[in-house]
Amino acid sequence: MRSPDSSSPLWKDEFSVNTADERYVTRRQFSKFLVLTSTAMFVGQLWILVKSWFAPEAGALPKQVIARRDEVDIGEVKLFAYPTEADHCILVRTAEDKYVAYSQKCTHLSCAVYYSRASNKLECPCHKGFFAVDDGRVLAGPPTRPLPQILLETRGDQLIAAGIQGA
Amino acid sequence: MGYDPAKLPPQVRGLNAITGAMSLIAILLIVQIWLLTATLESYLAGRHGAALPAAIISGVIFLFCFGLYRFVNSIDRKVR
Amino acid sequence: MFGFEFYVDPSRCIGCRSCLQACEECETHRGKSMIQFDFIDRPSTISTAAYVCWHCDEPTCAQVCPADAIKKGEDGIVHSSLKPRCIACNNCVLACPFGIPKMMEAEQQMMKCDMCYDRTSVGKRPMCATVCPSQALAYITPQEAAKRPTRPSNVFNFGNQTIKTKVFMMVPAQFDSLSLDVADYIWEGKENA
Repeated sequence: MRSPDSSSPLWKDEFSVNTADERYVTRRQFSKFLVLTSTAMFVGQLWILVKSWFAPEAGALPKQVIARRDEVDIGEVKLFAYPTEADHCILVRTAEDKYVAYSQKCTHLSCAVYYSRASNKLECPCHKGFFAVDDGRVLAGPPTRPLPQILLETRGDQLIAAGIQGA
Repeated sequence: MGYDPAKLPPQVRGLNAITGAMSLIAILLIVQIWLLTATLESYLAGRHGAALPAAIISGVIFLFCFGLYRFVNSIDRKVR
Repeated sequence: MFGFEFYVDPSRCIGCRSCLQACEECETHRGKSMIQFDFIDRPSTISTAAYVCWHCDEPTCAQVCPADAIKKGEDGIVHSSLKPRCIACNNCVLACPFGIPKMMEAEQQMMKCDMCYDRTSVGKRPMCATVCPSQALAYITPQEAAKRPTRPSNVFNFGNQTIKTKVFMMVPAQFDSLSLDVADYIWEGKENA
Protein backbone atom coordinates (compact mmCIF):
# COMPACT_ATOMS: atom_id res chain seq x y z
CA MET A 1 0.00 0.00 0.00
CA ARG A 2 2.88 2.36 0.68
CA SER A 3 5.88 2.24 -1.66
CA PRO A 4 9.36 3.18 -0.44
CA ASP A 5 9.47 6.26 -2.62
CA SER A 6 5.98 7.45 -1.74
CA SER A 7 5.83 11.22 -1.91
CA SER A 8 3.28 11.77 0.84
CA PRO A 9 4.52 11.89 4.47
CA LEU A 10 4.16 8.78 6.63
CA TRP A 11 1.48 10.25 8.85
CA LYS A 12 -0.74 10.85 5.85
CA ASP A 13 -0.55 7.19 4.91
CA GLU A 14 -1.04 5.86 8.40
CA PHE A 15 -3.87 8.23 9.33
CA SER A 16 -5.37 8.08 5.88
CA VAL A 17 -8.64 9.81 5.04
CA ASN A 18 -9.72 6.57 3.36
CA THR A 19 -11.03 4.08 5.89
CA ALA A 20 -9.66 1.27 3.72
CA ASP A 21 -6.07 2.54 4.03
CA GLU A 22 -5.86 3.34 7.71
CA ARG A 23 -2.83 1.57 9.12
CA TYR A 24 -2.58 2.56 12.75
CA VAL A 25 -3.55 -0.14 15.17
CA THR A 26 -6.72 0.88 16.92
CA ARG A 27 -7.27 0.29 20.60
CA ARG A 28 -10.00 -2.17 19.74
CA GLN A 29 -7.69 -4.19 17.50
CA PHE A 30 -4.96 -4.30 20.15
CA SER A 31 -7.40 -5.34 22.87
CA LYS A 32 -8.72 -8.03 20.55
CA PHE A 33 -5.17 -9.29 20.05
CA LEU A 34 -4.62 -9.42 23.82
CA VAL A 35 -7.84 -11.37 24.35
CA LEU A 36 -6.87 -13.83 21.61
CA THR A 37 -3.55 -14.39 23.39
CA SER A 38 -5.51 -14.98 26.59
CA THR A 39 -7.64 -17.52 24.72
CA ALA A 40 -4.51 -19.28 23.52
CA MET A 41 -3.19 -19.51 27.08
CA PHE A 42 -6.48 -20.94 28.27
CA VAL A 43 -6.48 -23.52 25.48
CA GLY A 44 -2.94 -24.45 26.52
CA GLN A 45 -4.15 -25.04 30.06
CA LEU A 46 -6.97 -27.24 28.76
CA TRP A 47 -4.46 -29.17 26.70
CA ILE A 48 -2.35 -29.87 29.78
CA LEU A 49 -5.51 -30.93 31.62
CA VAL A 50 -6.48 -33.38 28.89
CA LYS A 51 -2.97 -34.79 28.72
CA SER A 52 -2.87 -35.29 32.48
CA TRP A 53 -6.15 -37.25 32.32
CA PHE A 54 -4.77 -39.54 29.64
CA ALA A 55 -1.26 -39.93 31.06
CA PRO A 56 -0.26 -43.49 31.99
CA GLU A 57 0.11 -44.25 35.69
CA ALA A 58 3.54 -43.42 37.04
CA GLY A 59 5.74 -46.45 37.07
CA ALA A 60 3.34 -48.87 35.35
CA LEU A 61 5.43 -49.47 32.24
CA PRO A 62 6.63 -52.68 30.58
CA LYS A 63 9.85 -54.04 31.95
CA GLN A 64 12.91 -54.28 29.76
CA VAL A 65 16.29 -55.89 30.10
CA ILE A 66 18.92 -53.24 29.65
CA ALA A 67 22.25 -54.76 30.65
CA ARG A 68 24.14 -57.53 32.44
CA ARG A 69 25.59 -56.71 35.79
CA ASP A 70 29.20 -57.07 34.66
CA GLU A 71 28.79 -55.26 31.39
CA VAL A 72 29.56 -51.93 33.00
CA ASP A 73 32.59 -51.20 35.15
CA ILE A 74 32.46 -49.03 38.25
CA GLY A 75 32.25 -45.43 37.13
CA GLU A 76 31.28 -46.40 33.59
CA VAL A 77 28.04 -45.73 31.76
CA LYS A 78 25.80 -47.50 29.32
CA LEU A 79 23.28 -45.75 27.08
CA PHE A 80 19.96 -47.46 26.38
CA ALA A 81 16.46 -46.63 25.27
CA TYR A 82 13.46 -47.09 27.57
CA PRO A 83 10.45 -47.32 27.30
CA THR A 84 10.52 -46.48 23.57
CA GLU A 85 13.34 -46.12 21.06
CA ALA A 86 12.98 -42.35 21.26
CA ASP A 87 13.54 -42.12 25.04
CA HIS A 88 17.27 -42.12 25.57
CA CYS A 89 18.51 -43.13 29.03
CA ILE A 90 21.84 -43.46 30.81
CA LEU A 91 22.90 -46.19 33.21
CA VAL A 92 25.74 -45.48 35.66
CA ARG A 93 27.48 -47.96 37.93
CA THR A 94 28.44 -45.88 40.92
CA ALA A 95 29.81 -48.64 43.14
CA GLU A 96 30.38 -52.43 43.18
CA ASP A 97 26.74 -53.08 43.76
CA LYS A 98 25.01 -49.78 43.01
CA TYR A 99 23.49 -48.94 39.69
CA VAL A 100 21.47 -45.87 38.84
CA ALA A 101 19.69 -44.99 35.62
CA TYR A 102 18.06 -41.77 34.45
CA SER A 103 16.44 -40.33 31.40
CA GLN A 104 19.12 -38.60 29.38
CA LYS A 105 16.93 -35.63 28.47
CA CYS A 106 17.97 -32.64 30.52
CA THR A 107 14.89 -31.12 32.18
CA HIS A 108 15.92 -27.67 31.00
CA LEU A 109 15.84 -27.89 27.21
CA SER A 110 16.28 -31.62 26.56
CA CYS A 111 19.99 -31.74 25.72
CA ALA A 112 21.69 -35.12 26.37
CA VAL A 113 23.34 -35.24 29.81
CA TYR A 114 26.55 -37.17 30.28
CA TYR A 115 28.31 -38.64 33.33
CA SER A 116 31.44 -36.84 34.40
CA ARG A 117 33.78 -39.15 36.34
CA ALA A 118 35.92 -36.26 37.50
CA SER A 119 33.13 -34.48 39.31
CA ASN A 120 30.88 -37.50 39.84
CA LYS A 121 27.90 -35.62 38.50
CA LEU A 122 25.58 -35.81 35.56
CA GLU A 123 26.36 -32.77 33.46
CA CYS A 124 24.39 -31.06 30.75
CA PRO A 125 26.85 -29.31 28.43
CA CYS A 126 24.33 -26.97 26.79
CA HIS A 127 23.73 -24.57 29.65
CA LYS A 128 25.88 -26.05 32.42
CA GLY A 129 23.20 -27.89 34.34
CA PHE A 130 24.37 -30.38 36.98
CA PHE A 131 22.43 -33.31 38.47
CA ALA A 132 23.37 -35.53 41.39
CA VAL A 133 24.17 -39.09 40.43
CA ASP A 134 22.54 -40.66 43.47
CA ASP A 135 19.03 -39.26 43.06
CA GLY A 136 18.99 -37.03 39.99
CA ARG A 137 18.24 -33.82 41.85
CA VAL A 138 19.43 -30.52 40.42
CA LEU A 139 22.73 -29.32 41.87
CA ALA A 140 23.35 -26.24 39.75
CA GLY A 141 22.31 -24.51 36.56
CA PRO A 142 19.07 -23.63 34.79
CA PRO A 143 17.13 -26.91 35.18
CA THR A 144 14.39 -26.79 37.79
CA ARG A 145 13.09 -30.37 37.80
CA PRO A 146 15.16 -33.41 38.78
CA LEU A 147 16.10 -35.94 36.11
CA PRO A 148 13.43 -38.63 35.79
CA GLN A 149 14.81 -41.75 37.39
CA ILE A 150 14.52 -45.20 35.83
CA LEU A 151 13.53 -47.77 38.44
CA LEU A 152 15.88 -50.72 38.28
CA GLU A 153 15.39 -54.33 39.31
CA THR A 154 17.89 -57.10 39.32
CA ARG A 155 16.99 -60.56 38.20
CA GLY A 156 20.00 -62.75 38.59
CA ASP A 157 22.61 -61.40 36.31
CA GLN A 158 20.38 -58.94 34.52
CA LEU A 159 19.47 -55.33 35.13
CA ILE A 160 15.87 -54.59 34.27
CA ALA A 161 14.22 -51.22 33.78
CA ALA A 162 10.87 -51.41 35.52
CA GLY A 163 9.40 -47.91 35.38
CA ILE A 164 10.04 -44.21 35.45
CA GLN A 165 9.71 -41.99 38.45
CA GLY A 166 9.28 -38.24 38.31
CA ALA A 167 8.10 -37.75 34.76
CA MET B 1 -6.24 18.06 42.59
CA GLY B 2 -6.63 21.24 40.60
CA TYR B 3 -9.47 19.96 38.42
CA ASP B 4 -12.72 18.10 38.92
CA PRO B 5 -12.46 14.69 37.22
CA ALA B 6 -16.21 14.58 36.76
CA LYS B 7 -16.07 17.73 34.64
CA LEU B 8 -13.47 16.51 32.14
CA PRO B 9 -14.81 16.20 28.60
CA PRO B 10 -16.25 12.77 27.81
CA GLN B 11 -13.47 11.98 25.35
CA VAL B 12 -10.80 12.35 28.04
CA ARG B 13 -12.80 10.41 30.61
CA GLY B 14 -13.46 7.64 28.14
CA LEU B 15 -9.80 7.49 27.21
CA ASN B 16 -8.84 7.19 30.89
CA ALA B 17 -11.28 4.32 31.31
CA ILE B 18 -9.99 2.59 28.18
CA THR B 19 -6.36 3.00 29.20
CA GLY B 20 -7.08 1.56 32.65
CA ALA B 21 -9.01 -1.38 31.26
CA MET B 22 -6.34 -2.20 28.68
CA SER B 23 -3.60 -2.05 31.33
CA LEU B 24 -5.66 -4.45 33.44
CA ILE B 25 -6.02 -6.83 30.51
CA ALA B 26 -2.27 -6.76 29.95
CA ILE B 27 -1.50 -7.49 33.63
CA LEU B 28 -4.02 -10.35 33.74
CA LEU B 29 -2.47 -11.73 30.58
CA ILE B 30 0.98 -11.78 32.18
CA VAL B 31 -0.47 -13.64 35.16
CA GLN B 32 -2.13 -16.12 32.84
CA ILE B 33 1.08 -16.72 30.90
CA TRP B 34 2.98 -17.32 34.13
CA LEU B 35 0.27 -19.73 35.28
CA LEU B 36 0.65 -21.71 32.07
CA THR B 37 4.41 -22.03 32.47
CA ALA B 38 4.06 -23.07 36.11
CA THR B 39 1.40 -25.68 35.26
CA LEU B 40 3.50 -27.04 32.43
CA GLU B 41 6.50 -27.27 34.71
CA SER B 42 4.56 -29.22 37.31
CA TYR B 43 3.00 -31.50 34.68
CA LEU B 44 6.37 -32.37 33.22
CA ALA B 45 7.63 -33.19 36.70
CA GLY B 46 4.89 -35.77 36.98
CA ARG B 47 2.60 -33.88 39.33
CA HIS B 48 -0.77 -34.03 37.64
CA GLY B 49 -2.78 -32.62 40.49
CA ALA B 50 -2.28 -28.99 39.53
CA ALA B 51 -3.80 -29.24 36.07
CA LEU B 52 -7.47 -28.91 36.96
CA PRO B 53 -7.35 -25.95 39.40
CA ALA B 54 -4.98 -24.14 37.04
CA ALA B 55 -7.32 -24.65 34.11
CA ILE B 56 -10.24 -23.30 36.10
CA ILE B 57 -8.32 -20.22 37.24
CA SER B 58 -7.05 -19.65 33.71
CA GLY B 59 -10.63 -19.84 32.47
CA VAL B 60 -11.74 -17.26 35.03
CA ILE B 61 -8.92 -14.92 34.02
CA PHE B 62 -9.82 -15.39 30.37
CA LEU B 63 -13.47 -14.55 31.03
CA PHE B 64 -12.41 -11.44 32.92
CA CYS B 65 -10.18 -10.38 30.02
CA PHE B 66 -13.04 -10.95 27.62
CA GLY B 67 -15.38 -8.84 29.74
CA LEU B 68 -12.84 -6.03 29.84
CA TYR B 69 -12.45 -6.27 26.07
CA ARG B 70 -16.20 -5.82 25.65
CA PHE B 71 -16.04 -2.85 28.03
CA VAL B 72 -13.20 -1.24 26.04
CA ASN B 73 -15.13 -1.69 22.82
CA SER B 74 -18.34 -0.19 24.18
CA ILE B 75 -16.60 2.89 25.62
CA ASP B 76 -14.59 3.26 22.43
CA ARG B 77 -17.73 3.23 20.32
CA LYS B 78 -19.48 5.74 22.52
CA VAL B 79 -16.69 8.20 22.93
CA ARG B 80 -14.45 7.91 19.91
CA MET C 1 -22.90 1.40 -5.62
CA PHE C 2 -25.35 -1.10 -6.96
CA GLY C 3 -24.55 0.26 -10.43
CA PHE C 4 -26.04 3.71 -9.78
CA GLU C 5 -24.30 7.07 -10.03
CA PHE C 6 -25.45 10.52 -8.95
CA TYR C 7 -25.98 13.12 -11.66
CA VAL C 8 -26.54 16.84 -11.02
CA ASP C 9 -28.09 18.82 -13.88
CA PRO C 10 -28.59 22.46 -12.84
CA SER C 11 -30.29 23.29 -16.14
CA ARG C 12 -33.18 21.06 -15.08
CA CYS C 13 -33.68 22.66 -11.69
CA ILE C 14 -37.04 24.42 -11.39
CA GLY C 15 -36.51 25.81 -7.89
CA CYS C 16 -39.31 23.81 -6.25
CA ARG C 17 -37.11 23.03 -3.23
CA SER C 18 -38.52 19.53 -2.83
CA CYS C 19 -34.97 18.34 -2.33
CA LEU C 20 -34.48 20.72 0.59
CA GLN C 21 -37.70 19.49 2.22
CA ALA C 22 -36.78 15.87 1.69
CA CYS C 23 -33.25 16.28 2.99
CA GLU C 24 -34.50 18.09 6.10
CA GLU C 25 -36.49 15.04 7.13
CA CYS C 26 -33.42 13.05 8.02
CA GLU C 27 -33.33 12.37 11.76
CA THR C 28 -29.63 13.16 11.99
CA HIS C 29 -30.05 16.80 10.99
CA ARG C 30 -33.80 17.31 11.25
CA GLY C 31 -34.83 20.74 10.03
CA LYS C 32 -31.58 21.60 8.29
CA SER C 33 -31.03 20.51 4.74
CA MET C 34 -27.57 19.46 3.56
CA ILE C 35 -28.24 20.63 0.03
CA GLN C 36 -26.67 23.85 -1.17
CA PHE C 37 -29.37 25.73 -2.99
CA ASP C 38 -28.22 28.57 -5.23
CA PHE C 39 -29.90 31.37 -7.06
CA ILE C 40 -27.75 31.80 -10.14
CA ASP C 41 -28.30 35.52 -10.70
CA ARG C 42 -31.35 36.50 -8.75
CA PRO C 43 -31.71 40.09 -10.02
CA SER C 44 -31.98 38.94 -13.61
CA THR C 45 -33.15 35.35 -13.68
CA ILE C 46 -35.18 32.81 -11.79
CA SER C 47 -32.60 30.10 -12.50
CA THR C 48 -31.72 27.97 -9.53
CA ALA C 49 -29.37 25.10 -8.90
CA ALA C 50 -29.26 22.55 -6.13
CA TYR C 51 -25.95 20.95 -5.26
CA VAL C 52 -25.08 17.96 -3.15
CA CYS C 53 -21.63 16.98 -1.88
CA TRP C 54 -19.49 16.01 -4.84
CA HIS C 55 -17.69 13.20 -2.94
CA CYS C 56 -14.30 14.01 -4.39
CA ASP C 57 -11.75 11.27 -5.01
CA GLU C 58 -9.27 13.20 -2.86
CA PRO C 59 -11.56 15.11 -0.54
CA THR C 60 -10.09 18.45 0.43
CA CYS C 61 -12.27 18.63 3.53
CA ALA C 62 -10.84 15.33 4.81
CA GLN C 63 -7.28 16.35 4.03
CA VAL C 64 -7.46 19.60 5.99
CA CYS C 65 -9.30 18.17 8.99
CA PRO C 66 -6.95 18.44 12.01
CA ALA C 67 -8.87 15.82 13.98
CA ASP C 68 -8.93 13.08 11.31
CA ALA C 69 -12.72 13.27 11.62
CA ILE C 70 -13.76 13.09 7.97
CA LYS C 71 -13.42 9.73 6.32
CA LYS C 72 -13.98 8.41 2.85
CA GLY C 73 -15.27 4.87 2.64
CA GLU C 74 -14.26 2.15 0.22
CA ASP C 75 -17.27 2.93 -1.94
CA GLY C 76 -16.08 6.49 -2.49
CA ILE C 77 -18.63 8.22 -0.25
CA VAL C 78 -17.20 10.98 1.95
CA HIS C 79 -19.04 10.94 5.25
CA SER C 80 -19.98 13.71 7.65
CA SER C 81 -17.47 14.29 10.42
CA LEU C 82 -17.21 11.69 13.17
CA LYS C 83 -19.01 13.17 16.17
CA PRO C 84 -16.47 12.13 18.83
CA ARG C 85 -13.63 13.66 16.82
CA CYS C 86 -15.01 16.87 15.28
CA ILE C 87 -13.84 20.00 17.09
CA ALA C 88 -15.92 22.43 15.00
CA CYS C 89 -12.85 24.29 13.78
CA ASN C 90 -14.49 25.06 10.40
CA ASN C 91 -11.34 24.12 8.45
CA CYS C 92 -13.36 21.93 6.11
CA VAL C 93 -16.03 24.58 5.61
CA LEU C 94 -13.36 27.01 4.47
CA ALA C 95 -11.37 24.53 2.43
CA CYS C 96 -14.03 22.86 0.28
CA PRO C 97 -13.78 24.28 -3.25
CA PHE C 98 -17.54 23.73 -3.72
CA GLY C 99 -18.57 25.14 -0.33
CA ILE C 100 -20.48 22.05 0.73
CA PRO C 101 -19.78 21.32 4.44
CA LYS C 102 -22.11 22.94 6.95
CA MET C 103 -21.15 23.61 10.55
CA MET C 104 -23.97 22.71 12.92
CA GLU C 105 -23.17 25.11 15.75
CA ALA C 106 -25.67 23.63 18.19
CA GLU C 107 -24.17 20.16 17.90
CA GLN C 108 -20.60 21.48 17.32
CA GLN C 109 -20.22 19.12 14.39
CA MET C 110 -19.70 19.47 10.67
CA MET C 111 -22.42 17.78 8.69
CA LYS C 112 -22.82 17.49 4.97
CA CYS C 113 -24.49 15.43 2.33
CA ASP C 114 -23.42 11.82 2.73
CA MET C 115 -25.50 10.54 -0.20
CA CYS C 116 -28.12 9.35 2.34
CA TYR C 117 -25.74 6.52 3.20
CA ASP C 118 -28.35 4.70 5.26
CA ARG C 119 -30.41 4.46 2.05
CA THR C 120 -27.78 4.06 -0.68
CA SER C 121 -25.87 1.39 1.20
CA VAL C 122 -28.90 -0.87 0.85
CA GLY C 123 -29.72 0.03 -2.73
CA LYS C 124 -32.27 2.82 -2.25
CA ARG C 125 -31.93 6.26 -3.80
CA PRO C 126 -30.97 9.35 -1.81
CA MET C 127 -33.96 11.41 -0.63
CA CYS C 128 -33.27 14.37 -2.91
CA ALA C 129 -33.04 12.21 -6.04
CA THR C 130 -36.22 10.42 -5.05
CA VAL C 131 -38.31 13.59 -4.83
CA CYS C 132 -36.80 15.82 -7.53
CA PRO C 133 -39.62 16.22 -10.06
CA SER C 134 -37.38 17.29 -12.93
CA GLN C 135 -34.62 14.86 -12.00
CA ALA C 136 -32.09 17.65 -11.78
CA LEU C 137 -30.75 15.45 -9.00
CA ALA C 138 -30.81 11.93 -10.35
CA TYR C 139 -29.52 8.61 -8.99
CA ILE C 140 -29.54 6.48 -12.10
CA THR C 141 -27.44 4.03 -14.05
CA PRO C 142 -24.86 5.38 -16.50
CA GLN C 143 -26.89 3.86 -19.33
CA GLU C 144 -29.90 5.93 -18.29
CA ALA C 145 -27.74 9.06 -18.07
CA ALA C 146 -26.37 8.46 -21.56
CA LYS C 147 -29.86 8.95 -22.94
CA ARG C 148 -29.78 12.64 -22.00
CA PRO C 149 -28.57 15.29 -24.45
CA THR C 150 -26.15 16.70 -21.88
CA ARG C 151 -23.08 14.69 -20.99
CA PRO C 152 -21.77 13.86 -17.52
CA SER C 153 -18.49 15.27 -16.35
CA ASN C 154 -16.70 14.70 -13.06
CA VAL C 155 -13.52 16.71 -13.61
CA PHE C 156 -13.30 20.25 -12.28
CA ASN C 157 -10.41 22.67 -12.63
CA PHE C 158 -10.02 25.25 -9.93
CA GLY C 159 -7.14 27.39 -11.13
CA ASN C 160 -4.22 24.97 -11.13
CA GLN C 161 -5.99 22.27 -9.11
CA THR C 162 -7.83 19.48 -10.87
CA ILE C 163 -10.51 17.77 -8.84
CA LYS C 164 -12.08 14.48 -9.77
CA THR C 165 -15.37 13.66 -8.12
CA LYS C 166 -17.72 10.74 -7.74
CA VAL C 167 -20.83 12.80 -8.43
CA PHE C 168 -21.30 13.86 -12.04
CA MET C 169 -22.34 17.28 -13.32
CA MET C 170 -24.31 17.34 -16.55
CA VAL C 171 -22.61 19.78 -18.88
CA PRO C 172 -23.32 20.78 -22.47
CA ALA C 173 -22.18 18.10 -24.87
CA GLN C 174 -19.19 19.98 -26.22
CA PHE C 175 -17.42 20.22 -22.81
CA ASP C 176 -15.56 17.41 -21.14
CA SER C 177 -14.51 19.20 -17.98
CA LEU C 178 -15.46 22.36 -16.18
CA SER C 179 -12.93 25.03 -15.44
CA LEU C 180 -13.97 27.29 -12.64
CA ASP C 181 -11.91 30.13 -11.37
CA VAL C 182 -13.29 31.13 -7.98
CA ALA C 183 -11.97 34.62 -8.52
CA ASP C 184 -14.33 34.99 -11.46
CA TYR C 185 -17.30 34.57 -9.16
CA ILE C 186 -16.30 36.99 -6.45
CA TRP C 187 -18.66 39.90 -6.43
CA GLU C 188 -16.74 43.12 -6.90
CA GLY C 189 -19.50 45.52 -6.03
CA LYS C 190 -20.40 46.38 -9.59
CA GLU C 191 -23.61 45.48 -11.32
CA ASN C 192 -23.10 43.07 -14.24
CA ALA C 193 -19.39 42.80 -13.40
